[in-house]
Amino acid sequence: MIRTLGLAALLAGGATMALAQAKTLTPGQEVDMVLLPKFLGILVFDQAHEGAQEAHAELQNPGELLFQGPTPENSVAGQIEIMTTAGTQGVGAVMLSNNAGDQIVPAAQAAQQAGTKVVTWDSPIPNGQGEDIFIAQVDFEETGRVMADMAHEIMGGEGQFAVLSASPDAANQNAWIASLEEVLGADEKYANLELVETVYGNDQSEESYNRALALVDSHPDLKLIMAPTTVGIQAAAKAMQDEGLCEQVKVSGLGLPAEMASYTLNGCAPQFALWDFRDLGYLTYQVAYGLATGQLTGEEGETFVAGRMGEYTIEADPGREGAKRVLMGPFTVYTAENVEGAAN
Amino acid sequence: MTRVLGPWETFLLAVLVLVYAANAWISPQFLTVGNQINLFQLSIEKIIIALVMAFVIINAEIDLSVGSMMGLSACAFATLVEAGTPAALACALCLGIGPAGGFLNGWFVARLGLPSLVVTLATLIGFRGLARILLEDRSIGGFPDWFAALGQRGLIGPVPLGLLSFLVLFALLYVVLEKGGFGRKTYVIGVSRDVAEFAGLDTARHKILIFMASGLVASYAGLLFAARVGAVRGDVGQGFELDIITMALLGGVSIFGGSGTLTGVGLAILIVLSLRNGMSLMNVTGHIQTGVVGLLLIASVLVPRLGARLARRAPA
Repeated sequence: MIRTLGLAALLAGGATMALAQAKTLTPGQEVDMVLLPKFLGILVFDQAHEGAQEAHAELQNPGELLFQGPTPENSVAGQIEIMTTAGTQGVGAVMLSNNAGDQIVPAAQAAQQAGTKVVTWDSPIPNGQGEDIFIAQVDFEETGRVMADMAHEIMGGEGQFAVLSASPDAANQNAWIASLEEVLGADEKYANLELVETVYGNDQSEESYNRALALVDSHPDLKLIMAPTTVGIQAAAKAMQDEGLCEQVKVSGLGLPAEMASYTLNGCAPQFALWDFRDLGYLTYQVAYGLATGQLTGEEGETFVAGRMGEYTIEADPGREGAKRVLMGPFTVYTAENVEGAAN
Repeated sequence: MTRVLGPWETFLLAVLVLVYAANAWISPQFLTVGNQINLFQLSIEKIIIALVMAFVIINAEIDLSVGSMMGLSACAFATLVEAGTPAALACALCLGIGPAGGFLNGWFVARLGLPSLVVTLATLIGFRGLARILLEDRSIGGFPDWFAALGQRGLIGPVPLGLLSFLVLFALLYVVLEKGGFGRKTYVIGVSRDVAEFAGLDTARHKILIFMASGLVASYAGLLFAARVGAVRGDVGQGFELDIITMALLGGVSIFGGSGTLTGVGLAILIVLSLRNGMSLMNVTGHIQTGVVGLLLIASVLVPRLGARLARRAPA
């Protein structure tokens, strides 16, 4: 016990001015955890898993960390099933990137009643019910501005662009698109940028690829496709490259350097942005562990130390009434200058 | 024994006992009341429809439109409730959509003589299209508490409405198929429609009734789904038809019509659900689950044929 406390103090020492009130997590407590992505086989979710594994090892949890997800065709029913089973098994915490919209709520509430903590990350539960806390990768308001700025720069300040999103019910993408629309409407700087259409590729490569080509067909003056999803941006960039349209229609949005580097270097996708999914998985695990072991209460205003990432505070989620969040941030914008370094 | 259970049902029963025993041995949670109810609830819409699908296939037809009908019913319900219709009235209206759609299927198949594979493939697309037109890319939730409670909480003790519906429907359809004149006609028409016509049966009327029943149950399942998950979007029930048909075929219903029992379908349902649930409790999810159920279906086609071949050889 003394040894573990010592380690905790050491971790806390890394965060400046945190010792007074920030809680440090005591490692070594046993709790089983499930990391539940939207579905399996997506690189960013694997990276989040790596981050969670890192935290799992660091906190010396003798329990299990399971990475369980549905197949893409069965995402909603699969997420509901895994959530339900987790409650039955008495798992300490489920860390959910929600793809089921509000349809997950009854299953999540049942799990909570069975004593399981529900921590969302990447994509929250839209109405905030059945969720203990949301680990927000970036401020959803900021996402809109970052996308608007990239569009402004790539398009030279004027012209038509379209959004290619994930599924119509993905709470994160919908919030970002709403924030993008708000920024476009509120700031004179973007007055000549016209968002002509939003389409959905359901985070499936082929569907997104076809939707991107259909956008070009239906909007001859289109100058940019903005895809706030790593699957969509890559599919759109490939579609433009395959059809030789890169000079005419650029691609931007949220993408992974490893998947986007070639398109950034050849000019198809001159700029895109993202946050670090490993960090997101790491931070999510820290919070879920703290809640499941009773070390964190999850109250607004509670401050804690998340290992190597330092100090964070639980706050009200400005986008969802009654919901709470921990905000990670910030964005990195990738261009031809820095994409290669980040891709490795 | 074999009079109550045919050879295939006996085989399914043995598999089921094996799966249950293995699950109970591996996972301490498997046999808890809560988990047994969840096991049914997670697939409740599919298994209710599978019971009627047995009638459709025994009658030598297929109904691919059930998943889309579920979606249409759920989306119509959500749209009506959002527009201010009392939920109870909306339920009643939506239960009318199913038989209407089923009549459409049945009329094209039985009166015009079009293959049901083609007709219900068309309505699979058509009903889904209507569902998507109603909701577009939105999700509608916030149904009344009593409605959500029907899908999520116990109605009699811990047993929720969905599971009760399944049990009652199973008992009812068992009697209809195995004991009554309607069931006998279903088999006779399934074996040969021409012979049934010759014997003076109104085969068209019979087929239309079965398609209407299929539609009715699918629309009911759509409402159950809306109540269970508390929110509806355009993809409700998408792809469910394949799981439903899988259960019926695994239950020993011949895809060519004319044979199969509800006991077999019931056992197949229990096998598929307990297998999936057991794998979930052992933390096996996603592609592997799908693969195992697929293998099971292949085995269900192969084993009886191999068995028959061996049986022919044995006396020689």
